[in-house]
Amino acid sequence: MAEIVSVIALAHAPGATGWLDKAPKHEQDGLLAGYGRMGESLRAAQPDVIVGVANDHLLNFPMESVPDWCVGTAQRWRGPAEWFRDWVNVPPYEVAGNRGLARHIVRESGKRGFNLAFSDALEFDDNWSVPLKFLTPRYDVALVPIHMNCVVPPLPAPERCHAFGQTLAEVVRAWPEQLRVAIMATGGLSHDPGGDRYFDVDEKFDRWFLELLGTGDAGRVLREATIERMIAAGDGGTVELLAWLVAMGAAGRRAARTDFYVPSVALRCGMGGVNWNVA
Amino acid sequence: MSILNTDKTLPANKLIFEVRRDAAKRERFRSDLEGLMRDYGLSEEERRALREADLRRLGELGMHPYFLPQVTRLFKGAGYNHNQSEAAQLYAAKMLKEKY
Repeated sequence: MAEIVSVIALAHAPGATGWLDKAPKHEQDGLLAGYGRMGESLRAAQPDVIVGVANDHLLNFPMESVPDWCVGTAQRWRGPAEWFRDWVNVPPYEVAGNRGLARHIVRESGKRGFNLAFSDALEFDDNWSVPLKFLTPRYDVALVPIHMNCVVPPLPAPERCHAFGQTLAEVVRAWPEQLRVAIMATGGLSHDPGGDRYFDVDEKFDRWFLELLGTGDAGRVLREATIERMIAAGDGGTVELLAWLVAMGAAGRRAARTDFYVPSVALRCGMGGVNWNVA
Repeated sequence: MSILNTDKTLPANKLIFEVRRDAAKRERFRSDLEGLMRDYGLSEEERRALREADLRRLGELGMHPYFLPQVTRLFKGAGYNHNQSEAAQLYAAKMLKEKY
């Protein structure tokens, strides 16, 4: 039976790999140390595969048809997508998938009320290219990417995201083979691509959200961390935190420990990460 | 400007979506933007706004906010997109009341 050995969530932003030198020294140091700690802890958990949940930045799904969640079923992944290479400044990479587990997630979630899309052809931008570069820089841990809709309304409600996370953990544990699985959500924290707060970070919101996850009170998180509140903290980007609510659901009744937080105007994003300490 | 005001059916949204995924269409964005916009069925106002990188108007017409900084990168280049880069400065000039 598969075992969940780690549940984490962290921000990605193209500036972390694309123009980190433009950030003040203390931001660079804080970010590298934070990602470094999260990478060490993830690798120490010795996952065979990362089941990742990231927002799709309108890269894979045309507006005619945007699924809430789409599971990547390929056996091999390549990134970054061509037009995004210069932007994220990450050399081309390849990482293994896990087709069997991915298909199992689609089939079994379907029996539990989640109609998941699936694809062998997902393209990656900063959503995977940034976290993988810092957390598994040798690309030696397989990835089952799940792209989710956080930015094209109507969005899956926080309760739905949390319920999907619970289901995801259940179906992963039901995988019959021995497998060590890490659940990694990525997105957020506050940022506003395309809005008035593009050159701004909502540090107050971010710290409030991280503290809220630290309470371990999922009911309260779902009541208070509403889509409206996320939008108010950065319209086109902060809602990516819906992916974190999937991870919260997968973690069960646990409090999240904040591993780092660096509000960075230079990177146009509140950068941070949490760990639910499931091991 | 809000994701809540996105017009998913706006032809300009389809154009930007596809241009980012297709090198041949990006080349056409550079060499024949007018023809590309006609092929996608953009309205006269959409065409004017995109031609002039009038981000605020594109947003009002229903372009998804996430595409707006990407429009600046299609015009000015995507690499090394820090706050003083040409693309980011185009965004500031078109979207903000005060100079960033």
